[in-house]
Amino acid sequence: MSKRERYNNITGYIFISPWLIGFFVFTFFPIIASFILAFTKYDILTPPRWIAFDNWLRMLSDERYLHSLKATFYYVFTAVPLRLVFALLVALLLRPTTRLTSLFRGIYYLPSLIGGSVAIAIIWRQIFGLDGLTNFLLHLVGIKGPNWLGNPSTAIWTLIVLAAWQFGSSMLIFLAGLKQIPGSLYEAASIDGASIWSQFIKITLPMLSPVILFNLIIQIINGFMVFTQAYIVTSGGPLDTTLFYALYVYQRAFQNLEMGYASAMAWILLIIIAFFTILAFKSSRLWVYYESEGIG
Amino acid sequence: MKRLISIVLVLLLSLSVFTPILSAQEKIPLRVAWWGSQDRHNRTLKAIELFEKKYPNIKVYPEYTAWSDYWTKLNTQAAGKNLPDVIQQDYAYISEWATRGLLLPLDEYVSKGIIDLSNVAENSLSPGKIGGKLYGVNLGTNSLGFVYDPELFKKAGVSLPKAGWTWNDCKEAMSKLKSKLGIYGIEGITTADAQVFKVWLLSHGYWLYSDDGKSVGYKDDKFFVDWFNLLLELQSKGGMPSIEVDAARGSLGVEDMFIVTQKSAMALLWSNQLVAVSKAAKERPLRLALMPRAPIPNARPANYLKASMFFSVTSQSKYPKEAAMFIDFFTNSLDANKILFAERGVPISSKIQKALLPFLGSAQREMFTYISLVEKNSVPVPPPDPPGANDVIKNVWNPTVEQIMYGKIAPDKAAAEFRDKVNKILQQK
Amino acid sequence: MRRKSQWIVYYIAVFLLGIPMIYPVLWLIGSSFKEHAEIFANIGSIIPNKFTIENYIEGWKGFGNVSFATFFRNSFIIAGIGTIGTVISSALVAYGFARIPFKGRSFWFAVMMMTLMLPAQVQIIPQYIMFNRLNWINTFYPLIIPRFFSGVFFIFLIMQFIRGLPIDLDESAEIDGAGRFKIFWWIILPLIKPALITTTLFSFYWTWDDFLGPLLYLNQATLYPVSLALKNFADPTAVTNWGAVFAMSVLSLIPVFLIFVFFQKYLVEGIATTGMKG
Repeated sequence: MSKRERYNNITGYIFISPWLIGFFVFTFFPIIASFILAFTKYDILTPPRWIAFDNWLRMLSDERYLHSLKATFYYVFTAVPLRLVFALLVALLLRPTTRLTSLFRGIYYLPSLIGGSVAIAIIWRQIFGLDGLTNFLLHLVGIKGPNWLGNPSTAIWTLIVLAAWQFGSSMLIFLAGLKQIPGSLYEAASIDGASIWSQFIKITLPMLSPVILFNLIIQIINGFMVFTQAYIVTSGGPLDTTLFYALYVYQRAFQNLEMGYASAMAWILLIIIAFFTILAFKSSRLWVYYESEGIG
Repeated sequence: MKRLISIVLVLLLSLSVFTPILSAQEKIPLRVAWWGSQDRHNRTLKAIELFEKKYPNIKVYPEYTAWSDYWTKLNTQAAGKNLPDVIQQDYAYISEWATRGLLLPLDEYVSKGIIDLSNVAENSLSPGKIGGKLYGVNLGTNSLGFVYDPELFKKAGVSLPKAGWTWNDCKEAMSKLKSKLGIYGIEGITTADAQVFKVWLLSHGYWLYSDDGKSVGYKDDKFFVDWFNLLLELQSKGGMPSIEVDAARGSLGVEDMFIVTQKSAMALLWSNQLVAVSKAAKERPLRLALMPRAPIPNARPANYLKASMFFSVTSQSKYPKEAAMFIDFFTNSLDANKILFAERGVPISSKIQKALLPFLGSAQREMFTYISLVEKNSVPVPPPDPPGANDVIKNVWNPTVEQIMYGKIAPDKAAAEFRDKVNKILQQK
Repeated sequence: MRRKSQWIVYYIAVFLLGIPMIYPVLWLIGSSFKEHAEIFANIGSIIPNKFTIENYIEGWKGFGNVSFATFFRNSFIIAGIGTIGTVISSALVAYGFARIPFKGRSFWFAVMMMTLMLPAQVQIIPQYIMFNRLNWINTFYPLIIPRFFSGVFFIFLIMQFIRGLPIDLDESAEIDGAGRFKIFWWIILPLIKPALITTTLFSFYWTWDDFLGPLLYLNQATLYPVSLALKNFADPTAVTNWGAVFAMSVLSLIPVFLIFVFFQKYLVEGIATTGMKG
């Protein structure tokens, strides 16, 4: 090993030591424990009992489990793109720095702030109820809106809209990323006569791509783990159309006292998320541009 | 000189005798957990202050949360072997906790008189008895009922519900209410954790679970089919909100109920919630009617006295005696009960009941009256739900009800599927 | 001329889009000033028929003798200290992963990302048992200490920002004889200010909003943060003072919003050294 390599190894590990220490002290045990629990029957109140693969097999014939998979995939493949697109568009929109845009950035961030509160449930019901605001507006243009929350075909869309509405955090990250793009690049391009659109395609998107990748991966991960909104607003109904995976895991763990089964489900979710994340990372070689090299 | 030394020695000796006693005067820490809303928290905290005044050597450490989080926390504490001493318990979980040895049987404290139950009727205590031992002291008796608005009934010219009324009487009343006033007749009876289905079965002479807890308790699927046909009829005729409407409402709380906004003439209610509903309805006079009996000749009553909640002592508690004293205080102290004000249900001590009567508001008085009415029109309390009951309700009953009410499956087909699924779950436990 | 009309269209679009953003919050604020009975009876309107501040007064009282003053204090402590810890540790770790080619880097990065993917619901019981052994139950420790060592989301975020910076910066500094830490402190850190600001904002907000940790680890009400206290107000089986819930929710929004407004200034400024403009 060269002196340089040794230096890199030492400094590398020193820099990541906060996370590494935290991992071994706080995270390692719970993760391993939950994996082992997946092979047990554990009702939380009495010690776990080893049952090998029973939990894993059970998932295959569990109707509600399959519902939860369906609902979660549907959500991820609609809410995530919607949220990202909104976030990027609005970030671009609010990029110029004027007093008003600063104010509007705050306003667009507000929805994320009331995210998980109980109040959201009431507000959402008020907006999407049969006599709610949405139907009132639709009525004005002559459409009779359905009972958004009560109808199995539409209930999940109220949550997708909720997710899209809370694009504020993704927007902020995009804004931060946009801020970091050197203005000199745009100046040079303007001088060369490039149009706004081509500046967007050739400068903004590539320079922003690391951040886009970040948002994409984080939103995928968070999307698969969606819980709070379904827990508060719809409780997984109607007809299990909003029974998201994490909600079902929670129900099995704490309402049915089947922590072993819930742990097995949780690890399957990890595998699913890991699969899509790796997919995103691998694809990033094609479209993400880094000023410097590194992982991924 | 020698005398001085011996005096000093005697003094020193006597000091060493005293010191252990001095350190034993540290207060005994008692952790008590309950669920509720701001109102119950405040009342309980004040009652605790009274308890600490009476027993200055005990310091109570209250741990309170909302219902939705209570069991997440308590189960986690159980896994971490860090449970409080006194916990509020619920009918849905008490037998699971008792059979797993997490609760302390209280019989020895009763027989020693630490928990004084001399003024308590046996049928108020039996809900807390599992396997013949007392695991939880009833904090307030309640029973299911239909809360109704007598003014709406009068306006529609419908006679008020009477004791012993059946579902046929009920349907008649509801259709008149619908045609005269255009409102729902009833709400909240669809899923309701199968409670209404359970009393439907009781009124027919059966129960949801068999005696050994390993299968469904009724042989003829007709009971299932008839019940759901009744519900479907009510839904289609507008006697009750459709499943779509109910799904959109969720379970926000009493303020959200249609009876509060006068969109429904009746609602399913646990009697101890009457105070909350009345308050939400701006103290409009509301009354409680017995659950309708089955529409068959000689139908049995469809009510039983239930404990709204219990206080139990956890088996790991280091201070079981003090925990028992705490429960005794809650049950028998008049001052405490004046503060608690029957918010958890009708107190089980007849002495307390009588003493509270002059202080009660009209909603509470109605609740007390209703419980006395139920006492005369009830069946004995059914056995506690078997292990797996939670699974049955959450993963079979709820989805089945939704599918039937959304029209995805017919009741007769659903009845057989229901039976199969439930038996499967119960047999595995 | 064209310029100006462009601006007008622009502002109209931004404004119109802003309405659905802000409407629910306005509804929340409006309802917090309504009387208890009116909240559900008159659910459609933002403006109260009868304006009252009783919800704020009743709500502030909290439970027993513990008022929201205590709850807010606790929230600030937990979120404030936790955020400081997260920002510092995340920046350090992110630099390590992003800029230093050490042996095992890809492996540990993958492990780190993996820890984000396991639902929290199945980790809380082992976590609780662990913290119980440490005797940290009923203290702030489980809520604050781990934040000094973790924050995978932020590590990843800052990493992506660092990778957007040209490597020549590091290299030229190295040629000048600077060690890793100096490069980190003097060169990289100033250039990733937007990422650090964002980290601060999010870390603060998420900690502020988190109630699961406080629910499990805090037993005494005097230690509850606002997020947990709010949840204790609502019980579907008893009388819930919804007005108080709304009022306190509105109050709970204010610190987070103010912090956002304050830090936004820095997000806006950009970095002068490389001539970055908005």
